[in-house]
Amino acid sequence: MSELIDKISICVERGKVNLKAPFPPDLKEQPGADEYTREALEKGETPEAILQACNQAMENIGGKFSRNEVFVPELLMAAKAMNVVMEHLKPYFKSGNIKSKGVLVLGTVAGDLHDIGKNLVSMVIEGNGWKVEDLGSDVKTEKFLKAIENCPGCIVGLSALLTTTMGNMAKTVVEIKKQYPDIKIIVGGAPLSARAAEEMGADAYAADPQEAVKYLNSWAS
Amino acid sequence: MTDKQWTDLNKIIKGEILDPLPTGFVIDCPWLPNWYGIKILDYFSSDQLWLKANLKALNDFPDTLFLPGFWSEYGMCTEPSAFGAKCSFPENEFPHAHRVIRSADDIDELEVPDPSIHGLLPMVLNRLKLAEAKIKDAGHQIRFAVARGPLNIASYLMGSTEFLTTMMMQPDKAHELIKKITAFLSSWIDLQMQSFPSIDGIFLLDDIIGFMGAPEFTEFGLPYFKELYDKKVSVKFLHNDAHCKVSAPFLPEMGVNLFNPGFDITVKELKELTENKVTILGNIPPRDVLAAANEEGVKAETKKLLASLSDKSRVIFSCGGGMPPGVSSENIKAFINTVQKS
Repeated sequence: MSELIDKISICVERGKVNLKAPFPPDLKEQPGADEYTREALEKGETPEAILQACNQAMENIGGKFSRNEVFVPELLMAAKAMNVVMEHLKPYFKSGNIKSKGVLVLGTVAGDLHDIGKNLVSMVIEGNGWKVEDLGSDVKTEKFLKAIENCPGCIVGLSALLTTTMGNMAKTVVEIKKQYPDIKIIVGGAPLSARAAEEMGADAYAADPQEAVKYLNSWAS
Repeated sequence: MTDKQWTDLNKIIKGEILDPLPTGFVIDCPWLPNWYGIKILDYFSSDQLWLKANLKALNDFPDTLFLPGFWSEYGMCTEPSAFGAKCSFPENEFPHAHRVIRSADDIDELEVPDPSIHGLLPMVLNRLKLAEAKIKDAGHQIRFAVARGPLNIASYLMGSTEFLTTMMMQPDKAHELIKKITAFLSSWIDLQMQSFPSIDGIFLLDDIIGFMGAPEFTEFGLPYFKELYDKKVSVKFLHNDAHCKVSAPFLPEMGVNLFNPGFDITVKELKELTENKVTILGNIPPRDVLAAANEEGVKAETKKLLASLSDKSRVIFSCGGGMPPGVSSENIKAFINTVQKS
């Protein structure tokens, strides 16, 4: 790995977005993922090599998150740094040099305005090479169905933070499976468990974004 | 809560072991309306139905502590409404508040609300005032000033992703927001205490604490919670059913002496993390066991919880978090009986 790619990888894992970002405090006033990625591409580093290093960085921070070594703010910043890198790499996706692994239609279920879990999953999964169709929060079943219709072959991700909106999640899962029995559905959120996911008919429960990535990658392969 | 229940609660917090062992539950809109057989909207809009539902719970389960007791609330809309948040009240779903801050720059313009006149708060207080005589007739008193915590309200006003990002990218703005919310909360708690002299407890609910690591919590959470709990009351109660291993050791410093966690941590672990200085209200799984299991399942899980604790001081047996929707009276009785017969 070149020194520049190594720096990008460190910035992603530590959530150093750009020069202006005050986080993490020990990297304050230093260049971040934004500046290093621009420089790397200008110096002829391949987008594939940058993406691979960033995926590894996200896997590292995701692993730390799963082990409670870092928490939501750190993961959020890592995902933001990753997104900055992805902005630089977008033209290469469009040109076909880098291929998307598939599409995840994602949203927080009806009645639930919490977006943190959904956004983290979105950013981490996007960083892993998936296209995310983010429907937002408080998403009614009909909106999920419409999005599935527009994205044949997609996977659906449902998020909920409130115990009180789990019922809506179950209704959405049932309706999607009724109309699209072959669509894979992954669910996540604080009040859920693998048992609850199974009971509502979802294909998988992910306790954290990294677990969601693993399921998605296994279904895509 | 009756005088005896309040005295018992204080004894438990001081470390006394009661015989029989105590049980208690946080009850509010996710459980009460459906359990009582009314629409959620009716629960919020009818003072009579709200009072009847609360009184029935107390009468049906006189041997358990219902916390905070007669919680006058409008779900997640209560405090955000005072800041001008649009509130949605679907007929039989739980209400939710929409964000009012679109970017960190809006924080400068945010005014600290007056809880005596803004949003739904006058209704919250007036409902209690209208019901106070009947509450007293039933042998109970209003014991707690209740509010969502500052981080929780900040995440409602701004969106949790935006709020946490602001914490990391523009920490000064995040502090400004939390300071304004804390000032509002302090006056809201004071107003409740002035309105009901029987209040001798503060109950704050904040699960955004659980999203943070120690550096963020000590900077953006701890000082503000300390300020809010630094009032002269006997019971300082916190609910956080998200991750709590990071914040649990700070509970005594925050001033908290009663804590309702989620179910992803054992009561034994929490006793260790808090050096048994904080009473734990917990924590069989609320949904998978208390709501979804049969009576035998509830009994089995309750026995496991009891057996896991060699030291039963400073524990009020409960589920993790508040009472979830769909818990039957039979399951509550099975839980209480199992604890009391141990």
